Amino acid sequence: MQSIQMAFKSIMGNKMRSFLTMLGIIIGVVAVVVLVSIGQGANQSVSESIQKMGTNLLSVNINMRRNNPINLDRVNEMRRLEGVAQASPVSNSSGTLKAGLNQYEDGSIIATTPGYDVIRNYSLKYGRFITEPDVNNRSFVAVLGQEAAEELFGSLNVVGESFTWKGYPFTVVGVLNEIGTSMIGSGDNLIIIPYTVGERLFQRKGISSVYVSAMSADNVSIAQESLTSYMDRLMVGAYSSTKYNIYNQTTALKTLNTATNTLTLMLGGIAAISLLVGGIGIMNIMLVSVSERTREIGIRKAIGATRRNILSQFLVEALVLSLIGGLIGLGISVLATRLLEPALEMTLNISPSIAALSVGFSLSIGVIFGLYPANKASKLLPVIALRHE
Amino acid sequence: MIKMEGINKCYRLGGENIHALSDVSFNVADGEYVAIIGPSGSGKSTLMNIIGCLDVQDSGSYKLAGTDTSKFSGRQLAKLRNTHIGFIFQGFNLLGRLNALENVELPLIYQGVRRKQRRQRAEEALSIVGLADRMKHRPSQLSGGQQQRVAIARALVANPQIILADEPTGNLDTSTGAEIMDIFEKLNAEGKTIVLITHDTNIAARAQRSLSIVDGRIGFEAQEVM
Repeated sequence: MQSIQMAFKSIMGNKMRSFLTMLGIIIGVVAVVVLVSIGQGANQSVSESIQKMGTNLLSVNINMRRNNPINLDRVNEMRRLEGVAQASPVSNSSGTLKAGLNQYEDGSIIATTPGYDVIRNYSLKYGRFITEPDVNNRSFVAVLGQEAAEELFGSLNVVGESFTWKGYPFTVVGVLNEIGTSMIGSGDNLIIIPYTVGERLFQRKGISSVYVSAMSADNVSIAQESLTSYMDRLMVGAYSSTKYNIYNQTTALKTLNTATNTLTLMLGGIAAISLLVGGIGIMNIMLVSVSERTREIGIRKAIGATRRNILSQFLVEALVLSLIGGLIGLGISVLATRLLEPALEMTLNISPSIAALSVGFSLSIGVIFGLYPANKASKLLPVIALRHE
Repeated sequence: MIKMEGINKCYRLGGENIHALSDVSFNVADGEYVAIIGPSGSGKSTLMNIIGCLDVQDSGSYKLAGTDTSKFSGRQLAKLRNTHIGFIFQGFNLLGRLNALENVELPLIYQGVRRKQRRQRAEEALSIVGLADRMKHRPSQLSGGQQQRVAIARALVANPQIILADEPTGNLDTSTGAEIMDIFEKLNAEGKTIVLITHDTNIAARAQRSLSIVDGRIGFEAQEVM
């Protein structure tokens, strides 16, 4: 009880020193907590944007130009493989679209088959998606993303309107709901046309990319296995396995997670350095005050304080200072993450274990370096401690 | 009360051995008022520190109130300083962050006296030295004489049998010094044993007995006629 009282008196009696000690702890705690939460926030937002694209998504890429065995019938066969829900070939292009006086150059033209909307979780605001007859008849029809519709026609409900690309007239049969921007860019600039039309206009024969959705996220590996054995059967001969590859989102997620974990680790490293610097600050202040404190200890011993009295007073003093500093640091961290959240456009959560770790670290630094001079001085004979000026 | 026999104490100062005390023997009886007089560097402060248990002798025996202190642990010595000895320093040695009352309370805190009683006893001690109206002042807000009186109150508060004063008037002007000396005489009249160190023969003359110390040796012992 006495030592707590005396510790508080000492803290209040030397406000500058107390403030500087706490400052070291505050900076250390804030740096660690905020930087690590930014790292984890980045990790989370990357994972979320990948999950938005669909975790049951796989893609098959074929690296053969000649003798490519994959055609629309084969893609239809893929749909019946175990674990597979949908499969659609995809081929991309870009170009200038014209509708009256309006031009649209930022579009991403995708040639595909029905089912692609299911694979990518697209839904229609107006009209319909590409159908089987569209593909079979090579109909010049298109489904537009919202940005494309706005740019070309100035409105969204544009089913039945037409535009031209490379001089060919296309009729709009559907407009997609807003997709929003993800890490891979805007999703609203799509112009989706039947695969067969694309084949002709892109002047590209054969299917080099097939998007596949698994029955569910749990079925991704089953779907991948059945796709692999199917592709192996088709591509007999040397290097068959090098002629295609199957890519799934889970693997992508893992790769990206590794990257963002490295980021978190790096930020954590920087933060740890600032914690260390904060610790050195605490250490400095504690050691600088050693001569003043040595005299104080001498006086206290001369009037009857035991070594235990002295040590418990300084222990409480260091504990209180570090703890208050740590709590203020945590408070500032909470404030800082709330302020940074809108600026960084990510959810920042303070991890309790990191908070505990950083506060614990500063606490131990404060206690070790608060007790160090006290312990040294309390061992001295009173007369020697008193001689300290 | 104090019984010293063959006390020796050496210091190492700048690689040189300094014999601060050699073969010092003397007694102080209960209730006596003794002055130890000597020039600076004579070893009188060292002697005082050993009497006050702030320092330990290299050899020889020192008995305080009948108990041999040489075998005491740090804890026991702390208790002895706390309850048996009131030490008054030339430089006052008050804690600057605490006010007069809190400074005086300190020895009682280490005795574990309860707050209310502590406050009361500290107030009493401050009234004895005439500082009842300055209790909330910090040392920096007090004059030298007032600071020394706070130090005396601190030495008195635990009601020790012995008051040790190391050049208590050294930092004070003559008239304030005289006031401080009046306090010592009053305390002695109340039965406290007082040992006082000084280099001023006028001050030493006010004690019942004075011991002279030169080069770490007790020179002569003069009975004071008063």
